[in-house]
Amino acid sequence: MIAQINPLGAVISVFFVVSLLSILWWMLHPPVYIPAAAAKARRSLFAVKKILVPTVGLPYAERGVELACRLGDEQGAEILLTYVVEVPRTMPLGIPLPEAEQEGSQALERAGSIVKLHGLPFQKILQRARLAGEEIARIARERDVDMIVLGIRSEPGLRDAILGRTSDIILRHSPCEVVIDKLPKEA
Amino acid sequence: MASEVRAPAAALPGAPVELRRDVSIWGSFTWGYADVGADVYVALGLVMGAAHGAAPLAFLTAGFVYILIGFAYTELASAYPVAGGGQYYCLRGLGDIWGLIAGAALLLDYTIDIALFATASAGYINFFFPSIQSFAVNLGPFEGVNLIWAAESLGLIAFLMVLNIRGIRESSLFNSLIGALDMIMEASIIVLGFLFAWKPEMVVFQFKNEFLSAALFFYAVSVAIISYVGLESISQAAQETRRPATIIPRTSVSLIFVVLLFALAFPVLSLGILPWQAIAERESDPVAALASAIPYVGFLAGKAAAVLGATIVLISANTGVMGASRLTYSMSESHLLSPWFNAVHPKYRTPVRSVVFFSGVAALEAMFSFLSGPKAMDTMVNMYAFGATLAYLLSFIAMIALRIKDPYTPRPYRMPLNVKIKGVYIPVLGIVGAFATLAMLGVVIWTHALGRIAGPGWILLWLGVYLLYRWKNGLPVFKNIKRDWEKDQIAILTSAEEFDLLEQYKLALAERNKKEAKNGAK
Repeated sequence: MIAQINPLGAVISVFFVVSLLSILWWMLHPPVYIPAAAAKARRSLFAVKKILVPTVGLPYAERGVELACRLGDEQGAEILLTYVVEVPRTMPLGIPLPEAEQEGSQALERAGSIVKLHGLPFQKILQRARLAGEEIARIARERDVDMIVLGIRSEPGLRDAILGRTSDIILRHSPCEVVIDKLPKEA
Repeated sequence: MASEVRAPAAALPGAPVELRRDVSIWGSFTWGYADVGADVYVALGLVMGAAHGAAPLAFLTAGFVYILIGFAYTELASAYPVAGGGQYYCLRGLGDIWGLIAGAALLLDYTIDIALFATASAGYINFFFPSIQSFAVNLGPFEGVNLIWAAESLGLIAFLMVLNIRGIRESSLFNSLIGALDMIMEASIIVLGFLFAWKPEMVVFQFKNEFLSAALFFYAVSVAIISYVGLESISQAAQETRRPATIIPRTSVSLIFVVLLFALAFPVLSLGILPWQAIAERESDPVAALASAIPYVGFLAGKAAAVLGATIVLISANTGVMGASRLTYSMSESHLLSPWFNAVHPKYRTPVRSVVFFSGVAALEAMFSFLSGPKAMDTMVNMYAFGATLAYLLSFIAMIALRIKDPYTPRPYRMPLNVKIKGVYIPVLGIVGAFATLAMLGVVIWTHALGRIAGPGWILLWLGVYLLYRWKNGLPVFKNIKRDWEKDQIAILTSAEEFDLLEQYKLALAERNKKEAKNGAK
């Protein structure tokens, strides 16, 4: 009986059976059911097409950039990297501040290199303002931003406040969703 | 967890009675397989007779067009999971009259499917009762009418009608069981044949030396395309399939490849075991002839193939009843036909009037077949090819139109190879498919003398019914009824419990509205 088997016929038979079973197995294993509430939560993130990330060039802020990239990855969101140079009220707003601006440019450069790794479109915004928080909220309003991702320091600020002044202003005045990323002290 | 399928909630009291979602993954697959499986079983002998040694090439050529059709239907059925199939896509993409024409073409196929395959099934049953096969009486001008066979066929049509009124769950269960059994039997014939009887040199010899003219080859291709008709059935049951937008792409793609595997394996196996003439001679039961030639199992093959033939063609007829009734349900819901057709049985939630009406039409066609002898069967086969190719051509055009007119509807499956022009993804393979089916329709008209008269005649008849209905009810006769497709799409996705797609759709519309508001403000 075995001697009668044609080798090519055997190969075709095996190919036929394996193909048939593989197709049927794939067919019988569809993706899981997504309930209405889960679908709403899942898809609402897809509406986030523009994410603003304030940076100060410190590791916690750069972690915020990475977090924003991951949040925007699936829907290809645009990342607006923003550095605000705070000018004290005792000085005119247009006063030359080459060191602060250079620091800002370098911070934006580093943040940009993180976004590039994700292949997302991005813009670098370097602005001067009296209060960074107000300026960030204004940019978010003007540019129709969908989300602000804010990496904040793990150590508490003055008077033991969890949020610093900038974060507090952003939370109060932001026209859009705000995500705050605060690492534990040990980190 | 991986194959979780959630049952939909029961209808609320007082809510309009709708079709019930009772078709599972396997049920959805076997709706298509039931239809297509039988076609291959019947077409093998016919294609062999026309293409001789080139039969595998004829199946492959038709298979290429079939793959394109399959991909297009997969995209459309998963994006618009409602009853109606090609008719609904044409209505939405091209307008009311084109929806009616596509619907009429498909109705032609479904009613012939019921008549032809119920008759064939009774014929296979009679394999065990030879005295019935030879029974014949003269009825006035009609000579040699086999009344017992005719009564058996009508009995089978009545059985399928009751089954389909009783509920799609029962009907689908019937298809699922028989479909699984048939697939195992067909696969066994192929595997045992390739293992113990197949000779590759015989295939090569016949392919080289038994190749006829190009005209005959094209005729064979047009017959081979008949063997792939049936994919449409999956989309007809979309409104009764659980989670259709998720399930249908899977069942459709699987059906495309499973049927292609069988359709290519059978002719290659046949030519490696028997001369083409031996298969062509047995037009009614080519697989039985093939199975008889396999060592060790051949002695059982005749009876087994008869049982296989009887069951597979019966489930194909069953698919025809389901398809015709769902199609008319959809057409009357869209005001292409009288709302009389869309009445749903209050207890079984099946389109009872459509089931009865089109089973009746099929019974008339079967009677016509018995009274007129083999010529009527020829007419039916010709019209079958005409209806299928016309509906497929229109569906391709509708798919391209819908990509342009309705880019916001999420498409869980998209036909491969697209070119983005002004934000719209134009399907290159869709355009190739449209030309391929147009060529196929040309071949059908060129090579099937009866199909080119009876086919358009049927379409004109339904066009007349449509115009009369629209005129009598004060509806636009040559223009489209105004419809809110966006509201409809939300209702379709909600009813299908495809919430992820629903949210995607809402998001796409919100973005469009935002963009339009911005442009308006500027």
